[in-house]
Amino acid sequence: MTDTVKKRLIKFLVSLIIFGIAILIIVYNLRDNIVYFYSPSEIIENNQTGSQIVRLGGLVESESVMSDGDSIFHFKITDGQEQISVKYQGILPNLFAEEKGVVVEGIYMNDGRFIANKVLAKHDENYMPPEVIKSLKETGKWQE
Amino acid sequence: MSLAINYIANSLLILCLVTSIIQSRFLFRIQNYNLLSISQLSAIQFLSILVSFVILIFLFITSDFNFDLVYFHSHSEKPFIYKLSGVWGNHEGSMLLWILILVLFNFLFSLSKSSSQKFKEITVAVQSLMIFGFVLFLLMLSNPFNINNENFNDGLGLNPILQDPLLAIHPPILYIGYVGFSLIFSLSITGLLTSEVDKKWATIAKPWVFAAWSFLTAGIALGSYWAYYELGWGGYWFWDPVENASLMPWLSATALIHCVVVLQRKNTMQSWTMVLAILTFSLSLAGTFLVRSGVLNSVHTFASDPGRGLFILIFLFIILSSSFLLFALKSEKIDKPSSHNISSRNTGIMVNNWLLISILIVVFLGTMYPLATDLLYNQSLTVGPQYYAMSITPIIILFLFFMILSPQLSWGESKLLKILNEMRYILISCLTITFLTTLYYDLFNLTEILIIFLSLILIISSLSSGLNFKSTKVIVKSNFGQSMAHAGFGIFMLAVVSNAVYSQEKIYDAKVGSKLQLDEYIFDFKNIEQEEKVNFNSIKAYLSLSKSGKDLGEFTPEIRFYSDPPTITSETSIIHQFFSDVYVVMNVPQNQESISLRLHIKPFMNILWLGVVMIILGGIITVILNRNNYRENEIN
Repeated sequence: MTDTVKKRLIKFLVSLIIFGIAILIIVYNLRDNIVYFYSPSEIIENNQTGSQIVRLGGLVESESVMSDGDSIFHFKITDGQEQISVKYQGILPNLFAEEKGVVVEGIYMNDGRFIANKVLAKHDENYMPPEVIKSLKETGKWQE
Repeated sequence: MSLAINYIANSLLILCLVTSIIQSRFLFRIQNYNLLSISQLSAIQFLSILVSFVILIFLFITSDFNFDLVYFHSHSEKPFIYKLSGVWGNHEGSMLLWILILVLFNFLFSLSKSSSQKFKEITVAVQSLMIFGFVLFLLMLSNPFNINNENFNDGLGLNPILQDPLLAIHPPILYIGYVGFSLIFSLSITGLLTSEVDKKWATIAKPWVFAAWSFLTAGIALGSYWAYYELGWGGYWFWDPVENASLMPWLSATALIHCVVVLQRKNTMQSWTMVLAILTFSLSLAGTFLVRSGVLNSVHTFASDPGRGLFILIFLFIILSSSFLLFALKSEKIDKPSSHNISSRNTGIMVNNWLLISILIVVFLGTMYPLATDLLYNQSLTVGPQYYAMSITPIIILFLFFMILSPQLSWGESKLLKILNEMRYILISCLTITFLTTLYYDLFNLTEILIIFLSLILIISSLSSGLNFKSTKVIVKSNFGQSMAHAGFGIFMLAVVSNAVYSQEKIYDAKVGSKLQLDEYIFDFKNIEQEEKVNFNSIKAYLSLSKSGKDLGEFTPEIRFYSDPPTITSETSIIHQFFSDVYVVMNVPQNQESISLRLHIKPFMNILWLGVVMIILGGIITVILNRNNYRENEIN
């Protein structure tokens, strides 16, 4: 083997190893950090209880929002068919309102309650998360 | 009147369209037109777009609601600066701005004296072909000068969250960066066509690449700073798809600026430089497409129209396929055999190029995976920020290591032991500092300690390589831009890690008169007031901050209720101290008695922005020093 061929071979192998490791790490991490989105019907159907963090989206049911101080809020998310009680401690986004679209992130408990650690803020009063539009369309509750 | 303006503006756009066709004649080897020179024609392209842009600004300032664009995006009661920024706060206007920068770069390049006449002709021709495409797009699918026949009394306004001085300048700066790479792309196509990708090419391209990169960096930084104080989530980067769309071209551009330097010095890595140039511009275009099309949902998405997305997608496809075809045909010719030692600076730069591309792949997969699963499996999901943190951290550690090593290596051959010996004082002092910090702050995470250690070495070694300390005076060396940017990156990483470790937040349900506490800070909740402003009403809270009895200032977080369009926004209130920011956000009051307040301590934020500013300045300094060197070479 000549010197240049040797060098090229080393270069090639080094790059292959670096890229191989990099891609492995990436794919491994990606699988571990996916947050699935469900509508209330889907979350009940799949029975996604446990420790995994998921997102739940739908409409905030009217007259369901209650506060018991210390920034703890209770409300229900509905897709027209099923509803899920959500408990959340924190600051509600400005555009959080009854009968408006909402996405919460947290854990679906065995007793059917959803403990949210995030209520996602959106920027526009007409904005509806695309996932919510999709799930409302599926249950026939979507109105243009 | 409106009809006349509409007519004039459209004629100007068509003038630019026609001039661009004439300018692109060199690509088709038609040369029998010599009435006006290239730079005169470029001036026509530039002026026609400039004037139509000024007309659009005029329409927004005078609130001429006969124009659709003004009607939908402006309001007579809006403050002057936001009438102005309303010009590019929408799809059509921002496309016109995009084109304005495209013709500006074309014009500036046609005036430059660094390249041969033939090289200039072809570059301007490629650039003009793109101008043609975009102006056609503007005229056909997103004309900003469409008029309505209604007599509207007032406009529909602009999203209040976009009514912010920083956001008024964020799009133009970012666009200068994005579009700057169009010129690099044109230069690369010219290089491939003429098989002249060499030292000369790198010398011509270098100032443009660094300038575009500096603007892109500044544009991303401005967006990030805006998100930090306006969105009120306490963070400065959210791995939002739109942020990722701007980060991807930045990563590729950062690899590119280093390759251009290698190409200029060593006349090697020709084809890789071409790949990066094409990739960077394609990612810039894709960024625009992703942001504008509504594929990604965020504050950046303007009213979407599938036709526009399709046009940019087709445009992107044409550019990608034709340029990579050209590359495949020519790459054999441009690559010169080179022999360099494995322990030279090229190798270090090459390794960091791979690492940057690895980060790019991480970001790309994270951004595209949710889109793909939605299309293929109809399953909605999000990729959590943890994914990015966990994947990028190991790459960053390697990256920092090679960032320290590469500048120490010579362009020829270096002995690693010798370098280690030369750096021994820096290494020992950084090790000591890291050890003491670790003890003092109870750090146990090995990754964090390692990043802090490497960042410290990077800062000190970069600064000492860019400055020459002679007994009484400090001499700035020609690589000062590089050393500034590298030190800035070290400072930035140091701040990112410390910020991630030491940030604190707490939520209170507070009554007026109560005292709140977070860490050693005391927040005295004094008052709450309602105010009426020109275009919004607000509720303002007053809190004073003190630490161990010392008064540090007053917070005025605010909730604003805008009427046109009806929107509620939170204004965060931040007290900047040298080592940490204290940050207060308030909630929309749910009842009369108390109000939810979120308190944050964000350490090292000032230092983080300092690092970013140094990175940007490093780029600008490189352009300036390069210019001076160029002049000197010309004189000698």
